[in-house]
Amino acid sequence: MQVFLQTLVGGLSFGAVYALVAMGFSIVYRTMGLVNFAHGQVVMVGAYAASTFYMSSRLPFILAIIVAMLVTGAIALVMERVLRPLENKDFDLMLIGTIGFGVVLESLATIIWGATGHAVPTPVAAEPLDVFGVRIRTYSLVVLGIAAVATVLLLLFLQRTKRGAAMQAVAMDHEAATAVGIHVGRSNAIAFAVGAGLAALAGGLVGPLLYVSPTLGGTLGIKGFAAAILGGFGNITGAIVGGLAIGLLDSFAAGQFQGYSDLVVFLVFTAIVMVKPTGLFGERTVSRA
Amino acid sequence: MNLLLRNRLRSAQLIAVAVVAVTAWFLPYGLDGYGIHVVNIAIVFALLAVGLGLAMGVAGQINLAQVAFFGVGSYALAIFTTSSGLGFWVSAVLAMLATALAGLFVGIPALRVQSHYLGIVTLGLALAFTNWVTNAEVAGGASGLNGIPVPPLFGIDLSDEYLYYYLELIVFGLAIAFAVFLVRTALGRRLRAMRDDSLAAGAVGAPVPLLRMTAFLTASVYGGAAGVLYAGLIRYIAPETFSVANMFLLLAMVIIGGRQSILGCVIGAVALSLVREALVDFSVYAQLGYGSVVVLMVVFAPTGLAGLPRRIHGVIRRRRSGDRAVLKPFRPYPPAESAGQGPPLEIAGISKNFRGVKALKGVSLSVAPGEIRGIVGPNGSGKTTLFNVISGIYTASAGTATFGTEVLTGRRPYQLSQLGLARTFQNLRLFGQMTVEENLLVALDRSAMRSLWRYVLWPVGIWRFERRLRHDAAELLERFGLEDYQAAAPKSLPYGIQRRVELARAMASGPKLLLLDEPAAGLNGQEVGQLKEIVRSIRDSGVTVVLIEHNMGLVMSLCDRITVLASGGVIAEGTPAEVAVRPEVIEAYLGDSFSTAEVVRAVETETMS
Amino acid sequence: MTRFGIGRVLACATAVLTIGACSAPGSSQSAPADTSGPIKIAVVDAQSGQLSSLGAWESKGAKLAVDQWNAKGGINGRKIQVDVFDDTGDPTVGTNLARKIASEGYVAMIGTAESAVTVAMAPVLQQAKIPSITSGQSPSITAVKSPFQFLNGPTSTTYDETLAKHLVDQKGLKSIAFITNNGSYGKGEHDAFGKALAGRGVTPVDDQVVTTDQKDFSAALTSIRQKNPQVLFVGTEEVEAGLIVKQARELGITAVVAGAAPMGTTVYLNTAGAPNAEGTIVSSPYLSNEINDASRAFAQAYKAAYNEEAELHGAKAFDGTNIFLTALKTSNAATGQQLADAIRGTKYPGLLGTFTFDETGVGIHATAIGVITAGKLVAAAS
Repeated sequence: MQVFLQTLVGGLSFGAVYALVAMGFSIVYRTMGLVNFAHGQVVMVGAYAASTFYMSSRLPFILAIIVAMLVTGAIALVMERVLRPLENKDFDLMLIGTIGFGVVLESLATIIWGATGHAVPTPVAAEPLDVFGVRIRTYSLVVLGIAAVATVLLLLFLQRTKRGAAMQAVAMDHEAATAVGIHVGRSNAIAFAVGAGLAALAGGLVGPLLYVSPTLGGTLGIKGFAAAILGGFGNITGAIVGGLAIGLLDSFAAGQFQGYSDLVVFLVFTAIVMVKPTGLFGERTVSRA
Repeated sequence: MNLLLRNRLRSAQLIAVAVVAVTAWFLPYGLDGYGIHVVNIAIVFALLAVGLGLAMGVAGQINLAQVAFFGVGSYALAIFTTSSGLGFWVSAVLAMLATALAGLFVGIPALRVQSHYLGIVTLGLALAFTNWVTNAEVAGGASGLNGIPVPPLFGIDLSDEYLYYYLELIVFGLAIAFAVFLVRTALGRRLRAMRDDSLAAGAVGAPVPLLRMTAFLTASVYGGAAGVLYAGLIRYIAPETFSVANMFLLLAMVIIGGRQSILGCVIGAVALSLVREALVDFSVYAQLGYGSVVVLMVVFAPTGLAGLPRRIHGVIRRRRSGDRAVLKPFRPYPPAESAGQGPPLEIAGISKNFRGVKALKGVSLSVAPGEIRGIVGPNGSGKTTLFNVISGIYTASAGTATFGTEVLTGRRPYQLSQLGLARTFQNLRLFGQMTVEENLLVALDRSAMRSLWRYVLWPVGIWRFERRLRHDAAELLERFGLEDYQAAAPKSLPYGIQRRVELARAMASGPKLLLLDEPAAGLNGQEVGQLKEIVRSIRDSGVTVVLIEHNMGLVMSLCDRITVLASGGVIAEGTPAEVAVRPEVIEAYLGDSFSTAEVVRAVETETMS
Repeated sequence: MTRFGIGRVLACATAVLTIGACSAPGSSQSAPADTSGPIKIAVVDAQSGQLSSLGAWESKGAKLAVDQWNAKGGINGRKIQVDVFDDTGDPTVGTNLARKIASEGYVAMIGTAESAVTVAMAPVLQQAKIPSITSGQSPSITAVKSPFQFLNGPTSTTYDETLAKHLVDQKGLKSIAFITNNGSYGKGEHDAFGKALAGRGVTPVDDQVVTTDQKDFSAALTSIRQKNPQVLFVGTEEVEAGLIVKQARELGITAVVAGAAPMGTTVYLNTAGAPNAEGTIVSSPYLSNEINDASRAFAQAYKAAYNEEAELHGAKAFDGTNIFLTALKTSNAATGQQLADAIRGTKYPGLLGTFTFDETGVGIHATAIGVITAGKLVAAAS
C-alpha cells in the first residue's frame, strides 16, 4: 500500500511536468496544425536559460523562469517564421523539419553551455511532508501548484480574452477565421510563443528535479508528445490528464517491471491509442488529420 | 513524335543505369580500407532508406520503427547464429521471417490510426524494442552480442570487406530493381493511390487495410535484409545502433533525398552517410550543420533532391506553355441488350447518427435496374451522408442497403467496389500525385491481393497483367476523350476535365451501380450537356445510376425518378414532373426562390428538347 | 539507332566486367610509417548525443596531456598531434572511425567511453595493430581478448571487491539493497558487486533495476525503504546516481550510500545535493583532486586550460594519454605490435595509481575507499 501511494505521488509530480510539455504541443497543434518535434529541445533551452539566470544572475527562481519564458518565446517566433511554409502541410515534412530544428537547438546549447550540463539546487529548502508514511517533496507541491495555475491562466486566456477567442476560432476553422478578419499569422505566432513559454516553464521547473544537459529534451519531448496524444491531441484539458497518466504509467511500470518499464509503457500506450485513437478527450472538430 | 521522345528517354535511362552499374562494379578499385567500409555501411543505410521510402513516400504510412526492423533483422541473425548455432544463411532466412512478422505487428496500429498518431505509436514500439534488447539475456543485454560468424559463400572470404561489398552490391541491386518494379506496377500504384487519398483508393477497389499491412511488411523486409547484411559485416551488435537518433538520421536521408522516389532515397542515404563521415571530426558544428541543412531542405525543397529536376523542369515548361491538349468528345458505350436486367438497389430504413445528431432517419428507397435516380434536397438534408453509408465510408446506425442479393451495409468500400459499386465525390478526390492514366489504372486493376505472390515468384505475370491494364486504360482515355491528358497531373487540369477524369475513373472499375455526388458542380452549360450525354450512355450500357445534384434543370431532364430528402428523411418520390408539383417539396427544397410554374416550365422544355 | 547505342554500351560493359572480375580489388598494404611528421593520436568519443559529457571530459584530459608533452618538445623532436572524432555513441560510426584512423596513420587511440562502441571497434584496431586505451570497464571489453586493447581504469570487479571488503569485512554491514541500471555499466556493477557479496555469504535484501533514463524512482526506493537496509548500493552513472540518492533521502531512506567511481564526482555531489550525498562511501582509484601533488598539479593545469574543475574521466584520459606517450618515447616512436608491447611494459605512476598492465589489458588493480565528508571526498580511515 505504501509502495502504491508513494509511487502515485512520484508519478504525479513528474506527470505535472509532462502535462506542461503536452500542453505546449497541443496549443501549437490546435492553432496551426503543426506538430513541433523540437518542443522537447525548447524545453531544454528553457531549462538552461532558467537555471543559468537562477544560478549565475542570482535571480529569484520564479523570476528566472519568467525570463526564460521570454527567451524561448523569442526563439519560437524565429522558428515559426522559418517553419511557416510547413504549417498545415503533410506530416512527414513537419516531422523531419521540426526534428531538424531540434538538432540545431541541441547543438547550439552544446556550443553555448557545453556538453557536460549542470545540476540545479532545489529552490525550496523545506523538508518533505510526511503524510501517513508517504513522503511528499515540497518542491513537487510547488511544481503541481504552478502547473495548475498555468493551466487555469491558459484556459482563461483562451476563453475570456479577445486574442484567445481569435486563436480558438483559428483552431476551429482556418478559412472561416480569415473570413471574419482574424489575423491568422499573428494567432499562429502567439500560439507558438505561448507553447514555447509553457516549454520554458516545464524546463525551468524540471531543472531542480533532474539534471540540465543538452540531451534533456529527448525523452521529455517523446513522453510529452505521447501524453498529448493520450489526452486527445489539441485538447488542453486532455493534455493535463494525458501528462499525469503518462507520469503514473511510467512510475508504476518502473516499479512493476523494473528494467523492462519502457517496453511496457509503450505497449500500453499503443494499446490505448488503438482502442481510442482520438484520446481521452478527443475533439473531432479539431482533428486535422 | 511523343513515342520517339519517350524511346530516347528510356534509352538514356538504360545507359545511365549501365554506367552506374559499371561504376559500382569498379568502385572498390579506387578505395582504401576506410573508404570501402564507409561505402559498405552506406549501402546498408540505403537499403533501410529504400524500405522507409516505400512505406512513407510511396504508401504514405509514417513509419518510425524502420530502425527497429533493422534491429530485429540483425538481432535475430545474431541470436540464431550464436545461441542456436544455426548456419549464417539459414539464420538469415529466419531473421527475414522474424522481421516480416515484426513488420506485420507494427503495421497493426496503422489500421486504426494515421499521421502523427501512427508516428508516435511506431516510435514508441521502436523504443520498446530497444528497451527489450537492452534487458534481455538472450540478446546479450546492454553489452550486445559478439561472435557472429562470417557468412560462408562457396569459399569466398567474406571477411574481406572488398568482397563483402560485392555481396552487398548484388543484394542491393536486386532490392532496388524490386522496389522500382513494385512502384511502377499495380501494387505500387495502389499504394500511391492510398497515399494520395485513402478514401478514394478504397472507393475504386484498393483494399486499404491490406495495403497498409503490405507497406509495413515491405518496409520490414528491407529493414531485415539491411540488418542481416549489417550483422554479417560488423559481426557485433549492440542496442545503441538502433537508437532514435539513427531513426531520425534515416528519416532525414529519405526526406532530403526525396521520399517518393526510390532513387531519391538512395541518393539521400549515400549523400548523408558521406557528409556525416566527412564531418566526423567537427562534432558539434557538424550537428549544427546537419540540423540546418535538414530544415532548409524541408522548407525550400520539400520534394527532396530527387524532386529538384522535375521542379526546375516544371518552371521551364510553365514558361513555354504552348499547351495544345484538347478535350475530345465522349465516344458513347455500345448499348447493352441486358440493360435494365441487373439487380435493384434496395435501401431499407437507413439511419445514421453522429454523436446524437441524427443525419439520416430511416431512409428507404428502391432503385430499379437501369434507372437514373436523382436525389435532391436542401443542404444538410443528408444526401451525401446517404451516399457515404451506401458506399461503405460510414457504417449505418440502423437499416440495410442491398444490391440484388448482396448486402451492401457493413462492408468496406473496397469490397463494395469489388461487388460492382463505383462513386464520385462532391469535391473531387483524384489521386493528386499520379497522372491521369495512373488514376484510371488504379481503378482498372481488379486483381485480388492474393495474386501478390506473383511479385515474388512470377514477375513476368505482373508484366503481362500490366500490359493488359495499359491497353484498357488507353481505350478508356480515348472513350472519354482524355488522350491528350494521359500524362498530365490532375491538379493542373481545368475543373471540368478533372470532373470527367473522375467519372472515367469510376467507370474504369466496370461498375453495375454508379453513385455520382454533384457531378455537375462547377461545370459550364456546355459541359453539363456533355455530362448528360455521358450519363445516359453509361445507363444504356447497363449501369444503374444514382446522382445527387443541385442543378435542377439537369435533374429534371436526366433522371427517370427523383427522391427528395429533407432533414434526413424522404419527403417525396416520383417522376420529375410528379415531384416538382408536390407542395411539401417546394416548401422544403425550393423555398421562395422558385415558383412551381417555373419548375414545371423548366421540366417541359427540357423533356421536349 | 538507340537500340544500337544500348547494345554497344552493354557489350562494352560485359567485356569490361569479365576482365575486371579476374583480379580482386583491395589494397592490403597499410599506410607507410611516416617518421618525419607529427605523431598522430586519435581521441574517439561521443561528442554529441546522450553521452557527450563523457566525451567532452575525456578529450579535455587527453589534450591536456598532449599539450604538456608538446610544451616539453614532443617525442624525439616530433610534435604530437591529437585529433578528436565524434562517434556519437553509435557502434556503426565507431567501426567507420576505426577504419579511418587505421588508414590515416594514427598510431594510437584514446577512447571510447562507451563499451559497445569500443567492442565494435576492437577487431578492426586489432587487425590494423593500433593500440587503444578505453575508459570503459565492461567485461565485454576484456572478453574481446585483443592484445591491442588496454583499459585505463580498474574493472568493476576491482571496484566492487574493494567496496565489499570495506563494507562487509571491515564495517560489518550486511544488510545491503541494490539499485542498478540496465545499461552496460549498471549491469556490470550489479554482477560484480553481487559476486563480491556472494563470496562473503551476503545476499542483497532488495535488488531493484531501473532504466538508464528513468526519472522517478519512487516505486523502487519505497520498496527498498520497507526493507530498511543498512547500505544502499547504487550502480549507475553519476547523474542518475545523484537523482536516486536525492530521491532516496527525500523518501526518508537513511541508509549509507555506497558505489563506485561515479559517486566520487562533483556531478554526483551537485545532482544529489551536498547534504544528501554526505557520508557516501566510494570505491575509486581517483578520490579527489587533492589526494597528492600529482593530482593537484593536474587539477590546476586543467582549471587553467578549461576553466572548470577536473574530475575522474578527465584524469583517466590524462593517464591513458600519458601512458601512450611514455611508451612511444621508450620505444622510439614505434608503432603497431612494438608499441603495444611497449605499453604493456610501461609502469606508469598516474593519477589513478600505478599502472601495470596484465594480459587482459587492465592497468589498475586497486581502488581506494573514500567517504564524502562535508561536501568533499576524503580517504576513509581504515
